[in-house]
Amino acid sequence: MPTSAAENYFPVLLQILIAMAVAGGMVGGSFFLGHKVRNRIKDMPYESGMVPTGDARGRFSVKFYLVGMLFILFDIEAIFLYPWVVVFHELKMLAFIEMVLFIVFVLAGFFYIWKKGVLNWAAEGNDEGKDAVRILSHDQHAA
Amino acid sequence: MTASDLVALSPLILLSATALVVMLSIAIRRHHGASATLALLGLAASFASLRWAASVTPRQVTGLLLIDGYTLFYWGVLLALAAAVVLLAYSYLEHQTGHQEEFYCLMLLATAGGLVLVASSHMASLFLGFEILSVSLYALIAYLHLQRLPLEAGVKYLVLAATSSAFLLFGMALLYSETGSMQLATLARFYMGAPNAALGAAGWAGTVLMLTGIGFKLAVVPFHLWTPDVYQGAPLPTTALVATISKGSVFALLLRWFHPAGSLAGTPVWWAFVIMAAASMLAGNLLALRQNNVKRLLAYSSIAHMGYLMVAFVAAGPLAVQAATYYLLAYVITILGAFGIMSVLCSGEEECCELEDYRGLFWQRPVLAAMFSAMLLSLAGIPLTAGFLGKFYVMAAGASSALWLLLFVLVASSTIGLYYYLRVLVVLFSSLPEDHVKVMLPRGRVPAGAGFSLAVLVILLFVFGLYPAPLWDLIRGISAGIG
Amino acid sequence: MLNLLWLAPALPLTSAVLLAIFGSRWPRKLVSLAGVGSIGLAAVASMLVAWSFLTAPPPGNAFVLPLWTWMAAGSFRPEFGLYLDPVSLLMLLVVTFVGFLIHLYSTEYMRGDEGYARFFAYMNLFVASMLLLVLGSNLLVLYMGWEGVGLCSYLLIGFWYRDAANVRAANKAFLVTRIGDTAFAIGLFLLFTQLGTLDIQQLMQRAQSQWPAGSTLAIAAAALLLGGAVGKSAQLPLQTWLPDAMAGPTPTSALIHAATMVTAGVYLIARTHVLFTLAPEVQLVVAVIGAATLLMAACSALVQRDIKRVLAYSTISQIGYMFLALGLGAWSAAMFHFMTHAFFKALLFLAAGAVIQSLHHEQDMFRMGGLRRELPVAFWSFVIGGSALAGLPLLTAGFFSKDLILWQSWAGLNGSIWFWLCGMLGALLTSLYTYRLVFLVFYGTAKSHVSERPGLAIKLPLAVLCVLSIFAGYLDTPPHFGGVPRLSNFLNSTLPALEEVHVGPVITEVTTALTASLVFLAGFSLAYLLYYRRRVEQPAESALARFWAAGWGFDTLYSWIFVRPFVWLAEVNRRDIVDSLYTALASLTQASNGLLQRTETGHVRWYASGLAIGSAVFLGLVWWMR
Repeated sequence: MPTSAAENYFPVLLQILIAMAVAGGMVGGSFFLGHKVRNRIKDMPYESGMVPTGDARGRFSVKFYLVGMLFILFDIEAIFLYPWVVVFHELKMLAFIEMVLFIVFVLAGFFYIWKKGVLNWAAEGNDEGKDAVRILSHDQHAA
Repeated sequence: MTASDLVALSPLILLSATALVVMLSIAIRRHHGASATLALLGLAASFASLRWAASVTPRQVTGLLLIDGYTLFYWGVLLALAAAVVLLAYSYLEHQTGHQEEFYCLMLLATAGGLVLVASSHMASLFLGFEILSVSLYALIAYLHLQRLPLEAGVKYLVLAATSSAFLLFGMALLYSETGSMQLATLARFYMGAPNAALGAAGWAGTVLMLTGIGFKLAVVPFHLWTPDVYQGAPLPTTALVATISKGSVFALLLRWFHPAGSLAGTPVWWAFVIMAAASMLAGNLLALRQNNVKRLLAYSSIAHMGYLMVAFVAAGPLAVQAATYYLLAYVITILGAFGIMSVLCSGEEECCELEDYRGLFWQRPVLAAMFSAMLLSLAGIPLTAGFLGKFYVMAAGASSALWLLLFVLVASSTIGLYYYLRVLVVLFSSLPEDHVKVMLPRGRVPAGAGFSLAVLVILLFVFGLYPAPLWDLIRGISAGIG
Repeated sequence: MLNLLWLAPALPLTSAVLLAIFGSRWPRKLVSLAGVGSIGLAAVASMLVAWSFLTAPPPGNAFVLPLWTWMAAGSFRPEFGLYLDPVSLLMLLVVTFVGFLIHLYSTEYMRGDEGYARFFAYMNLFVASMLLLVLGSNLLVLYMGWEGVGLCSYLLIGFWYRDAANVRAANKAFLVTRIGDTAFAIGLFLLFTQLGTLDIQQLMQRAQSQWPAGSTLAIAAAALLLGGAVGKSAQLPLQTWLPDAMAGPTPTSALIHAATMVTAGVYLIARTHVLFTLAPEVQLVVAVIGAATLLMAACSALVQRDIKRVLAYSTISQIGYMFLALGLGAWSAAMFHFMTHAFFKALLFLAAGAVIQSLHHEQDMFRMGGLRRELPVAFWSFVIGGSALAGLPLLTAGFFSKDLILWQSWAGLNGSIWFWLCGMLGALLTSLYTYRLVFLVFYGTAKSHVSERPGLAIKLPLAVLCVLSIFAGYLDTPPHFGGVPRLSNFLNSTLPALEEVHVGPVITEVTTALTASLVFLAGFSLAYLLYYRRRVEQPAESALARFWAAGWGFDTLYSWIFVRPFVWLAEVNRRDIVDSLYTALASLTQASNGLLQRTETGHVRWYASGLAIGSAVFLGLVWWMR
């Protein structure tokens, strides 16, 4: 049995050292052993096979952030389902009702952003949606 | 969770449901009047259900919320304040471009956060209430996000409130590590006993960190720096909300948390409160002295008023709780009235909050100017107003605990305060400027809803100043449980 | 029915508030309706109360209507309540009824004035305050009314504020009465600290049981209250403000500076008579002040040119009679004279107002004359009111009330031959200056043109007051002539009964009355000879006359003793050391404001560090204290 903190954490240290050795070994190995060819195509950033266009500092539509935020929001709501499953058998009906309520609330929020046009990318013929985009991205355009 | 628990929670449930309904109604069809009406109806229903809830209280609902007379009293106050804010916001937002309806949804949520705070008896619910309140306020402060100042204020508040939440959370963690409990009542017992006997270094440090978070919300020195910027930047109804519901609920929580602790006097935390009180009174009044923006001026004055409130808070015994409650009530009525009058005057896209805008207001809008004067006099603590009696009770509480130094600071700083309140008064009543190009609110009518709520506030101001007995008895009743 | 009592002050107050807020926008008729109607209704309410009080007297002949407790702090819990007993009932009736008549009169007198609504707002506020003063069950309430009437008096004297002289007169009145008010306030503090209450009835009981007669505290308390009374009632040595107070509109002079407010001092002393009985020395001082004032003011009245100043001095003199009565212990006689005086003095002022208005605001009697035929209503009013003032035997109210005081000045508790002689001499002078006025104004040759004649709203109050000036005296007729002293009997349930300590040998009730009648006749004849027969066309120019005309030089005296040294001191002391302390404090405050202002940078990073620094400081504090 380990008797001190140092002994306790020794395996962790070992793990770290091995991990560093493996990573360093692989990169270093290919660096020293590999054949080097440099050309323009190879120096381009990797974009999943697409040809990159424009500047890396280009502006994105605020929609990207918006959708990102919404994703995280709903994602986190979904996480509640995991602990709920664990205690479901103990709480029974109450847990069921509470979760239904919770889902209803989340859906209500979803309904709201949907109607507000946040998910509407085309934003044509939908004043509400256009409005939202205009307002949300106003500062960027203004700047 | 029993049926009685649900009954006890009914005001909170109704309020949250209203927020949801308002949101859905916006999703279906936008209509400013409808949203405001829904919000008002929800607040009224919630208020009405207080009676119902009272039939099953006092009651500890789960480990998190304690619903008793004290809670219900403050709930009632918060709901009434929210209703007044709805009325004022309606007339204010009518003149703003952009969507108006979400304001009501957000402010109902903020109120719900306040309700949770007041009732919380556990750190988890405390934090929840804190965050519900804060998150709604971020959006409310930046509500007019097409303008520079509100946006700036919103971002500032976001960053700082998040920082203060971090302090709060860290403090909770430290306290839990030391005491093994998250129940506020249990924690309070640690403060009791002989000084320092029960609580170790981590415990005290945790307490201080929690006070940082709470002090930020109350805007007491030294956590006050954000106040003027946010007060100035936020739209007026939101400013009123920050000044009343946010501060009121946090203070109610603080009062409940620390006052069963019997005499805190002499403990390090008590000294921290004393220093906060004295520093807030002095710094708040001094900062307001030469301020020319009325919103900033009221922001500074609110720092000072929180200081006065703290004087009652550090006093011992039941009188302290009663005095603090009375003062808080008088203060929120007054400040809500002041911001309400400003919001009625400052219709149109531009808010006119510079002192010069108010020059000769009396000759243009005598009734509003008279109301504003009443509010200022109450803030200054002139007799016949609620503010006077509030200060009187605070001084009585302080004197009964022999806090002479604090009382001296209170009197001295009130005198400084008188100076800038009178400055505003003088401007209100001085003659019109030669070239008064900028006419505040061309002689239109005050919208009925806003006018009604202002009238009620003014009446309350004088009723509580002249005939405090019923309110005082009520406060004595509800504070019997604590302190 | 007694519960209607609160209406009496509430109605005028409401009307005053409404007029103050909306008055400038209301049409004139509505303003008149509110201004006069509220007082009228208050008068009706008072009469209903009086009827109920008289037909079914409440237990103990006193009625308390508690309103509310203002604030409770320890043993200090001022109860707001109204207290009705015979004395306050009498005051209530006179104030509302005479007040109503004067308001009615004002609708015509003030009709062309741009401050019409403002005038009625002030007047209504005055009536409300006066009623509060009269009805307050607590000295604090009384004091509130006391200050309220002072304020209204100030506002109304300076009503035509564009003329600097009027403003100066208003300031003077305010400042001089303030001296008395301060004494009164200190008296209140003394009473509260010593007896622990300000409720008048309790106060009187406790004073009676705790303080022996002649004790220092009783003397101090009575003297301080006397100070207040002297200021308000314009008695020596604080009488100087009243003649100047005539700068206000004439109805104001009638209501405030003749009929009601100035008698507040009389009322105060009567109300707290127990204290004065406990302090016989002070009571004697009251009598001396009264006697001296009545003579002094009567002399001054003899040589005035201004018709209103004659009446002003005569008011001071008549209140001197009331003080004399109070000092003698003839409490009810003072109240009786108060009532009759209210009627005939209001009548005289209103009639004077009618004359002044008819002559384009001419107030100099030596430029009037021969108005008897031109202004018959004013003439008859002056004849009746003047006769009442001078005490025309048996026919007028003034005779009975003054006779009672004269009789008591010999027979009463503190009575002496000197007081009796003073009273008689005063009566002679009164009769003389009254008929001097009447002959100068209404007989002889006309010197001014009458531009307009009074209308109904002026004639009606005059007529009613004429009737009252004649018949009010029969309320209390001396028993020696087979009369019944109804009023005295009524008041005696509250005030101590009249005593007759000295009787005879020469001075008896009958001889007093006969002497008074003779004195009246003498004064009348003298005036007839001097101002009707010889027709003196110029005021007397002797040094004595000038001295008297200037109110015995009190203004100059005060100016030399108080005003100039004070102004000099203020000039010298412009940059005094005490001030520099405050200036330093102010600069310190400003400096710290500047310093703190720099912490508000507007930078979020600094604000966040503020949170951290604050926390660190408190952590340090906790660490250090552990």
